[in-house]
Amino acid sequence: MQHGKYRFIVGFLALPLGLYALFVVWPFVQSIYYSFTDWTGLSPEFKMVGLDNYRRMLDDEIFWKSLRHSLMFAVVLPLVTISLALFFAFMINVGGRRRKGGPVISGVRGSSFYKIVYFFPQVLSIAIVALLFAFAYNPDSGAINSFFRGIGLDGLQPLWLGDPDLALWCVMAVLVWSTVGFFVVLFSAGMASIPADLYEAALLDGAGRAATFFRITLPLLWDTVQSGWVYMGILALGAESFAVVQIMTTGPGGPDYSTTVMVLYVYQKAFRDGQAAYATTIGVALLIVTLAFAAVVMRLGRRERLEY
Amino acid sequence: MGSHSENIGSDKNGSAGVGRRDLIKRSAALGLISVPTMSFLSACASSGGGGDEDKAKAGKKTAKNPLAVNETAQLEFVLFDGGFGKEYAEDAVKIYEKGFPGAKVKFSATQKIQSTLQPRFNQGTPPDLIDNSGAEQMDMGVLVGKKQLADLTPLLDAASYDDPNKKVRDTLRPGIVEMGQFDGDPVWIMYYAYTVYGVWYSQKALDSLDATYPETWDQMLAVCEKAKKKGIAGWTYAGKYPYYLPFSLYPMIGKVGGREVLDAIDNLEPNAWKHPAVKACFDAYYELYKKGYVLKGTPGLDHIQSQTAWAKGKALFIPNGSWVENESANVIPADFDLAVSAPTGIDSSDKMPFGTIWASGGEPFIVPAKAKNAAGGMEQLRIMLSEASSKNFTAKVKSLTAYNGGTDGITLTPGLKSGVAALDKAGENVVNPRLQDWYVQLQKEKIGVSGLGEMMAGRLTPAEAIKKIQGYADEAAKDTSIKHYKHQ
Amino acid sequence: MKTTETPVPPPAESGSALPVTKVDLATGKPSRGKKTEGNVLNAFSHGILVIWAIMVVLPLLWAVMTSFKDDSSIFGSPWSLPDRLHFDNWSRAWTEANMSDYFLNTVLVVGGSLIGTLVLGSMAAYVLARFDFPGNRFIYYLFIGGMSFPIMLALVPLFYVVNNMGLLNSIHGLILVYIAYSLPFTVFFLTAFFRTLPTSVAEAAFVDGASHSRTFFQIMVPMAKPGLISVGIFNFLGQWNQYMLPTVLNTDPDKRVLTQGLVQLAVSQGYKGDWSGLFAGLVMAMLPVLAAYIVFQRQVVQGLTAGALK
Repeated sequence: MQHGKYRFIVGFLALPLGLYALFVVWPFVQSIYYSFTDWTGLSPEFKMVGLDNYRRMLDDEIFWKSLRHSLMFAVVLPLVTISLALFFAFMINVGGRRRKGGPVISGVRGSSFYKIVYFFPQVLSIAIVALLFAFAYNPDSGAINSFFRGIGLDGLQPLWLGDPDLALWCVMAVLVWSTVGFFVVLFSAGMASIPADLYEAALLDGAGRAATFFRITLPLLWDTVQSGWVYMGILALGAESFAVVQIMTTGPGGPDYSTTVMVLYVYQKAFRDGQAAYATTIGVALLIVTLAFAAVVMRLGRRERLEY
Repeated sequence: MGSHSENIGSDKNGSAGVGRRDLIKRSAALGLISVPTMSFLSACASSGGGGDEDKAKAGKKTAKNPLAVNETAQLEFVLFDGGFGKEYAEDAVKIYEKGFPGAKVKFSATQKIQSTLQPRFNQGTPPDLIDNSGAEQMDMGVLVGKKQLADLTPLLDAASYDDPNKKVRDTLRPGIVEMGQFDGDPVWIMYYAYTVYGVWYSQKALDSLDATYPETWDQMLAVCEKAKKKGIAGWTYAGKYPYYLPFSLYPMIGKVGGREVLDAIDNLEPNAWKHPAVKACFDAYYELYKKGYVLKGTPGLDHIQSQTAWAKGKALFIPNGSWVENESANVIPADFDLAVSAPTGIDSSDKMPFGTIWASGGEPFIVPAKAKNAAGGMEQLRIMLSEASSKNFTAKVKSLTAYNGGTDGITLTPGLKSGVAALDKAGENVVNPRLQDWYVQLQKEKIGVSGLGEMMAGRLTPAEAIKKIQGYADEAAKDTSIKHYKHQ
Repeated sequence: MKTTETPVPPPAESGSALPVTKVDLATGKPSRGKKTEGNVLNAFSHGILVIWAIMVVLPLLWAVMTSFKDDSSIFGSPWSLPDRLHFDNWSRAWTEANMSDYFLNTVLVVGGSLIGTLVLGSMAAYVLARFDFPGNRFIYYLFIGGMSFPIMLALVPLFYVVNNMGLLNSIHGLILVYIAYSLPFTVFFLTAFFRTLPTSVAEAAFVDGASHSRTFFQIMVPMAKPGLISVGIFNFLGQWNQYMLPTVLNTDPDKRVLTQGLVQLAVSQGYKGDWSGLFAGLVMAMLPVLAAYIVFQRQVVQGLTAGALK
């Protein structure tokens, strides 16, 4: 039995693991190695410099700013997005009016319409989304300020991306806009699978909507919420925050470093300043932050499983 | 897929045959990982070393072929596909192909210069000619420092395309060759475009205000006040990229305090920014904000948005470069009467006369040291620096080239005409601040966004801005991870 | 009123057609029933749903509208309707952008890598979820760790690996790399999924003499179909929008994928100040995906439903 099992394991793991090791792990190991060198990225020559890059990073004010903003992205963004999505999903699926003779729980009217529409932004490339919103935020003739003027709020003309106190929030709002729909559909799916008799029991106990949500819906959805949180957080630390910050913000990364994030800083160091080694150092820091983030979420969210 | 083969040696009856088959399978699986990895490792170790043996052999040197280009060698040309488009380069490639019918030219245009080319530099197989421009421009200092570029002196000393008795060097605008030098004689970069920076405006708008372009700051404020009464802002600028402000601010500093002030700033000398001329100019610009002469919302506009607002007559003046005429062609009205002026100074006590302007090369072309066909790359540049190609460029993209002249016989657009006039007026008084070439991060992100941008948005006073910028400059001067340059 | 009157086990509802529900929205407000606190709350929450729907749709409609305007009115008066329909924007974008070629390339690359990702990902995940062996945890975390590394950093070394294998500028090379970079999340998701599937069926099959791999392909994969669909959708979106990898590994203009073409368009039209052309290009790229989603939304939603069930 044993050997058959091992042969099977090896046979099944070889190809995926091989591909993964070759195209992902190995390049990453190399880039970690580069973080101990003075490689510029523009010539094959470099020498080892030990921990110099790491020392420099700890003294780098911009690095700390980017770290702070990245952490904001990882914490605030999933929190807002997932809360909103849970609210929408709950309303869509369970929030409907109770009717005589109808089912105990029901969704609002047009629930499938909402599910379709909310998902729209998810099928657009984040770069397109960022570009659209850069237009909308234009303080002079952008859609938002024009709208404010149109309804008589002439005094309210924020600079949006030009204001260091607002810029980061503007950027995050765009990511919330584009990702909420995905989670609405995901959570609706989960909610649909919760047996109706659980709700009936809760209603018999006299539970209100909020209580139903917190006592039944949320606990049963917890696994989904948790994976969603990790997924969203990782995206927010990496690819998505890069696209929006790079395309939309002043500088990019400004005004006055108010929107710079780690992944943007990595890009700028590697592809603008010719300091690839230092870029990889920041990348290693980003790796550590992301791993720590995932570990914390998984640990906080750990629950006893109902099955298995 | 695997179900059949697995079935043969299934667990129930397979225990006898484990040994060999299993071993083979297992080692095959391991091989999948290790073989490419090992070959990669060895390839990595030897990369960078290779090179010379597969370079193209020199061709025959003739009057037609002064650079001795190998007539059948392939030429690879990577162009930055930006504001000037790629047509002008494609036209020049056609001339090359005509001259060397046996040669194949591999031409490509991209915006992602560094991410596409960086691996190839590392590998030692770069293309033969590169227009190293745009947001992903490769750091020239690093390329020069790491000996990745070819010296263009042979090109400069070759006969020009139009006149065999004239060297290429002698057909160029003043300052172009010097800009391509870093330390010492070799010339590493050929700046092909020639850009005039300054204050851009609509002559028609000024006329309708009954005003002329102001020469002193008091006049500037008076014009802005006039405009304000009519509901027009005096200024706007690319608020999201405030490093457009220096296009008029730096030459103004030069005009007020003399060239030395700009040189000191470029050389990152201590307290360079504390010079009274800097303070005077910062105060002047800050006054535009204070008096409400800057278009509302400007700090949130990008370059296109600010140019559009300006083209629509919402603001009179915008600091910009000569590409603006091409870039905003779609939104500039036909009767706009685009003009550029050297920046307004403070008053008559300024060190340099009115007319002092910033003009310098743009679109840096490089030939890599490890290029297989470096001579071909230079020949392609020689073709581009001919009068005909230069005219073609000017006519197509409304911008001047490094070729001195090249405007006879073509109808100049209003902006271009005004740019040529401004250069004539400036004569010797052309300044060329280098911060944006030498210290990109310092110029754009620190001085531009965090210093000037914050000041013009009213979040820093001029004194605070100067202190902050001086701090950044000092940091950059101390930073050992970047290469430092000095004006010769 | 059709949807609201049918008894609502929500999954069935997800299939109802768009126009019907639209009518519901139009006739909408609850007129019947007591004005209880619940109704006020209901109106309030429904109001929020409507507002969000508007917020989602408006920018998209705006983009479509803008693609028919000329440059100066895009910036000058963003909310006004186009003075006339500038179809020339579209033809300009179409000729400059080679969208049809890019589209085909993208379909090839994403199609190939999606299948590969699902096959390889489920194989690895199944083994990691169901078998105890030394190194299991290590391999699992090795995969999971990959989710957290910025791709950008691996670009240059990756270029060499791909180049040394002779896979540069090729569709199949791109497919292999896409698969490798999609594995972390796929393994993470599917491992969790396989763990929750009942063990009894597989054990029974095994006792009946099926091999491990046969058990996997004939029993476990069909059982895992919902999870595969979910993770397939995640991967589809990711791979469809992938930009960094093709930029570096695929510089041949004929083999560009859609995102490369789009960014090329965005940057070059941006430099040329041709924003109307850019919007036309964006809408052109946006519509097929949106259309595909509307056509297949039922499958998408069901896939996600099933995946979230576990």
